[in-house]
Amino acid sequence: MINNIFNIGLMHYLILSLILFSIGLFGVLISRNLLRIVMSIFVITISVVINFLVFGCYCDSSLDNANIISIFVLLITTLQTIIAVVILYKIYKTNEFLDSEKIKDKEN
Amino acid sequence: MIPEVLYFYVLSILMIISAASIIAAPKMYLSVGSLFLLICFSSLLYLNLNAGYIALFQFLLCGLCLFVYIFLLLKKIGRLNLRLKLVSKIKIIYSASAVLLLSCLCCLFFKEEFTNSLFDIFNFVTVKTSDVVDFGAHILPLHLIFILVLISAVVIRVFLLSLDRKEQILSEKSVKEHTNSD
Repeated sequence: MINNIFNIGLMHYLILSLILFSIGLFGVLISRNLLRIVMSIFVITISVVINFLVFGCYCDSSLDNANIISIFVLLITTLQTIIAVVILYKIYKTNEFLDSEKIKDKEN
Repeated sequence: MIPEVLYFYVLSILMIISAASIIAAPKMYLSVGSLFLLICFSSLLYLNLNAGYIALFQFLLCGLCLFVYIFLLLKKIGRLNLRLKLVSKIKIIYSASAVLLLSCLCCLFFKEEFTNSLFDIFNFVTVKTSDVVDFGAHILPLHLIFILVLISAVVIRVFLLSLDRKEQILSEKSVKEHTNSD
């Protein structure tokens, strides 16, 4: 048991990634502010990138596949976040608030 | 040198705290600040996984560009002091139990499947592809893609601005027509 705690391996990183994923998912479910939801999705992405890199480090000797996939994941997520923030800015300009429930009520 | 065990545990705890404070910080600027800290800590963790290039890339792209972008936008709309708003208590309890259930299922999956089938699948994939992909040969095309994406972002931005101006001009015209007809 103590050996498992002090020998850092694939499992430790996977559990860290799972915890980050759960926190991100929880944030998406409970937040009412749209910007917080976007940031929670970013937390989920970070957990995914950790997963890729860990598998690359422990299963792939050359590390190339994991690095390339991670770069694309990070790039796409950053651009997606920027586009989401721009859309939120437009929503704020028309509605004067970023509350998801208020926006839902207004649509109804 | 910090031992690997200490490095991993300290960074993990810091990452979990900053991720939790993104969703639970009482003010918005604290939430954005914790996002920046999370990006920094995860970049440090990548260094431990022999991925220095990714760490630098994430720090530059997400840590500096994205953080500054969100911060400036919040400052522009004056919502840096926005309070934390959550859904109702019942919804929080339901979502917490759903997330816990999902985590337990994932842990069970790791425990039962990891040493057998999943590990073999990943070994198979990496053995099949690792001799084909050369990271050095992909750097130039990757940078070309980054430049193309940046150029397209600028073009879309200019297009959106021109649309905004057209809308403004149209609305001004309609207001003028209304006043003239009155």
